Amino acid sequence: MDVFILLLEGIFVSFQPLNLGLLIFGCLIGLFVGAMPGLGSVNGVAILIPITFIIPPTAAIIFLAAVYYGAMYGGAISSVMLGIPGASTAVATVFDGRPLAVKGEAMTALTAAAVGSFVGGTVSVILFTLFAPPLAEVALRFNAPETFALMVMAFATFVGLGGDDVPKTIFSILIGLALSTIGLDLITGKPRLIFFNIPGFLHGINFLVLAIGIYGIGEMLWTLEETKGKVQMSKLSVNMKEVGRAFGALKKTIMAMNIGSFLGFFVGILPAAGATPASLMSYGITKQLSKNSKEFGSGVPAGVVAPECANNSASTGSMLPMLTLGIPGSPTTAILLGGMILWGLTPGPLLFTQEPEFVWGLIGSLYIANFFTLVLNIALIPAFLMVLRIPFAILAPVIFVLCVTGGYAPTQSLHDVWLMLLFGFAGYILRKLDYPVAPAVLSIVLGPLAEKALRQSLILSDGSMGIFFDMSEKPIAAIIMYIAIVLLIMPAFGPLYRKFFKKAQTT
Amino acid sequence: MSIIKKLALVIVSLSLVAVSSVSSAKPFSPKKPVELIIPAGQGGGADEIARLVQGVIEKNDYASKPVIPINKAGGSGGEAMTYVKKKAGDEHTLIITLNNVLTTPVNQPELGIDFFNDFTPLARLITDTFLVWIATEGKNTAGVETFDDFIDLARGNGLVMGGTGSMSEDELLLGMMRGQFGFDAKYVPYSGGGAVAKGLVGGESDFTLNNPSEQMGFYQSGDSKALVMMTPERNPAFPEVPSSYELGYPDLEYYMMRAFMAPAGIDAEVEKYYTGLLHTVYHDNEFQTFNIDDGKLMSWLEGFGLKDFLAIEYAKHGEIIKNFN
Repeated sequence: MDVFILLLEGIFVSFQPLNLGLLIFGCLIGLFVGAMPGLGSVNGVAILIPITFIIPPTAAIIFLAAVYYGAMYGGAISSVMLGIPGASTAVATVFDGRPLAVKGEAMTALTAAAVGSFVGGTVSVILFTLFAPPLAEVALRFNAPETFALMVMAFATFVGLGGDDVPKTIFSILIGLALSTIGLDLITGKPRLIFFNIPGFLHGINFLVLAIGIYGIGEMLWTLEETKGKVQMSKLSVNMKEVGRAFGALKKTIMAMNIGSFLGFFVGILPAAGATPASLMSYGITKQLSKNSKEFGSGVPAGVVAPECANNSASTGSMLPMLTLGIPGSPTTAILLGGMILWGLTPGPLLFTQEPEFVWGLIGSLYIANFFTLVLNIALIPAFLMVLRIPFAILAPVIFVLCVTGGYAPTQSLHDVWLMLLFGFAGYILRKLDYPVAPAVLSIVLGPLAEKALRQSLILSDGSMGIFFDMSEKPIAAIIMYIAIVLLIMPAFGPLYRKFFKKAQTT
Repeated sequence: MSIIKKLALVIVSLSLVAVSSVSSAKPFSPKKPVELIIPAGQGGGADEIARLVQGVIEKNDYASKPVIPINKAGGSGGEAMTYVKKKAGDEHTLIITLNNVLTTPVNQPELGIDFFNDFTPLARLITDTFLVWIATEGKNTAGVETFDDFIDLARGNGLVMGGTGSMSEDELLLGMMRGQFGFDAKYVPYSGGGAVAKGLVGGESDFTLNNPSEQMGFYQSGDSKALVMMTPERNPAFPEVPSSYELGYPDLEYYMMRAFMAPAGIDAEVEKYYTGLLHTVYHDNEFQTFNIDDGKLMSWLEGFGLKDFLAIEYAKHGEIIKNFN
C-alpha cells in the first residue's frame, strides 16, 4: 500500500501550479520537437537543460520528462502526414502510417498513434510504479549474452518483415548490416570501411540519414510520380462518423498494444537500448505474430500502434535504470542523467529513499503528461489533416527542405546530407524493383548493438558460442535464443502449417 | 500548424546562420554556441565533468553563448580527436581530455594525429584517481577484504575485468599491474564507466578500475567496495579506502587528467578567452564543492606548466604502451 500513498503524493506534487504549467509547456515543446525531422527528444532535452538550472530539480525533471514524452507522440505526426520520420523513434511508424494516409485514412493513423502512445505510456508507468526495484534487478542481470540473444530475436522477426520474398528481405538485412559496420571498430577502435578515405565515414552512418533518405526523399519521388503533383486527398472530412470509424479500427490492435507496451517497457529498461530499437522490434514481432501479417506495410492500424505504443513505453522504461542504477537506458536519458547530477542528486540505488519527492513527483507527472498529450493530440488531428489538402507540387519542395535540414541537424555535417540524398535515390530504385527497405533500416539500428554484445560475450566465453545456450549459467540468454530460433524458422513452416490446418478443417 | 511553422523555423534558422557569420572586432567572445567534444560515452567521468562545466557556465552566465557537449565516443577517442583536428582554426570548438588523448595517437597511427601540433592546450582543472573495485557480493571475489587478498586471488585465477574500451586508461593500468603483481585478467570493453559499474554489480565482471564518480552510486549503496586508491594519500570522499603508498606499493600511482584543449591554429586572443572562462569555472563554488565531494583532486594548470605536464605524461604513456604490447 505504501506505493499508492507515495504515488498519490507524487501526483499531488505534479499538480502544483509551477509543475503543472511546466508539464503542459513541456508536452507542447515535445510535440513540436518530435514532429520536426532531425530534431528528436535528444536534441530537445539537450537544448532545454540550461533552463532547468533556475527551477527546483523536481520541476526540472517533470519538464524535461514531458518534453521526452511529447516528442514520442510528435514523431508520429510527420511520419504519417509527410512520410518523413519525425524522429528516430518514429521510423517504424512510417511503415504503416504513411500507407494509411495515402489510402485516405490519415485520421485512423493519427488516432491509432495517439491512442497507442497513451496505452504504451500508461502501461509502462504502471509497471514502473509497481515493480521498479525488482525490475532494476532484472536490468542488472541483463548483460552482454542476454543482449545479443535479444538482438538475434529482433533479427529473426525481420526476416518475416519483407513479405514473402525471403531472399530479397535477407539481401536488405545484409545491406543494412554492412552499412552499420562502417566507422570505427567498437572494440579495437580501428577504422573500418572508410571509403575513399572520406573522414565523414569515421563516425559511421547515422541511421536517421538512411531513414530520412529512404522514406523522405524516396517516398517524395514515388508520390510525385504517382500523383503527378496533384492534391493527394481531396475529400477529407472530419466528422463524428470518421472519428467513430477511427476508434473502431483500434479494436483490432489490442494485440499490438500488448506487445508494444510490454516489449517496449522491457527493452526500455535495458541499458543502452532505448525507444528506437524498441519501436522497431515491436513492429517486427507484432507483424510476425499477427494473423494478417501480409497486410503489414500496406497500411494497417496495428502497424502504427505497435511502434508508437513501444516508443512511449520504452521512454518511460528507460528512466528506470537512470534512476535506480545511474546508467542511461537511452540517449535522451543519458542527458537527463547529466542534468540530475548537476541538480545535486546522486542517481543510484539510494535515490528512491533519499529523494522520494523527486522520484515520485516524476512518476506522478508521467500519468498526467500521458493524459494531457493524448487529449492534445486528438484535438489537433483536424489541423494536421490540412497538410494533405496541399497540392503535392507545393508539398514536395517543403518535404525536400525538411529532409535536408533533418539530415544535417544530428551531426551537422554536409557529408551526411549527400549520403541522405544518395540513399533517397537508392531507396526509390529499390522500391521500383520491389525490394523491401524496412529490414535495412532495422539492421542499421540494431547492427552495432548486436555486434558489441556478441563480441563482449565471445571475449567472456573465450570464443565459444555455447555462452548463448547455457541453460544453467545464463538461463535468460538461452531462453531468448531458443525463442529467436523458433521465430526464425516459423515463416518457413507457417505456410505448411496453414495448409495442413486447413485440410484438417475441411475433412 | 505544422507546415507554416516549420517553414518559418527554417527561414529563421537560416537567417540566424547568416547573421552569426558576420565577424566582429576584438576582444574575442563566442559568436555562436561552443561545441564541447567529449571523447567518451554518456554517463562516464569525462561526460560528467563536461556537463558540469556546461551547467556552471549556463547558470552563472559566464559566457555569451551556450556550450553544447557532444559525445564522440568512437574508437577510444579517435573519432573525437579526428574531428577536432579537422576543425583547425575553429574558434567555437573545445575538447575535454581523458588520457586517451595521450594513447590513441600512438595506438592508431593511421589516424594521423599529432598530439603536440593538432591541439591548443588551454588548462587542466582536475585530476581524477583510480580505485580497484569489487562487487560486495561478487561470486568469484567472495572473502576478499584487502588489496593483498585480491592480488593472491587474481594470481591464481583468471578474473574478468570490465573496462571502458580497448587501450583506455584502465586497460593500461591493468597492463601496469600485470607487470607489478604478476597477474592477468580477461578484459571486457563496455561503453563508458557507467556501464562498467553496472557490469560489475550485475556479476558479469569480477573487478574494475573505475574512477571514483563512476562507481559512486553503487559505493554509497554498498553494492561495491574499493580495495585501494592509486594515490599517495587517502581521499576524504573515501575515508576507509587505503592509498597505494600506505599499502607499500608506491609504484601503483596513476592519474587521469581532466583538461581542456582547443583546435590548433586559433588566435592568442581566443586562447586567452577560453582559458579565462575555464579559470572562472574552476573557482566557482559549486564546481569546487561538487568535485571535492566526488573524490576528485582540484589541480589547476595552464600555460608552460601544462605543456610540460602533457609532454611528461605523453612520454610516460608511450612507455606503458610499449611494455604493454
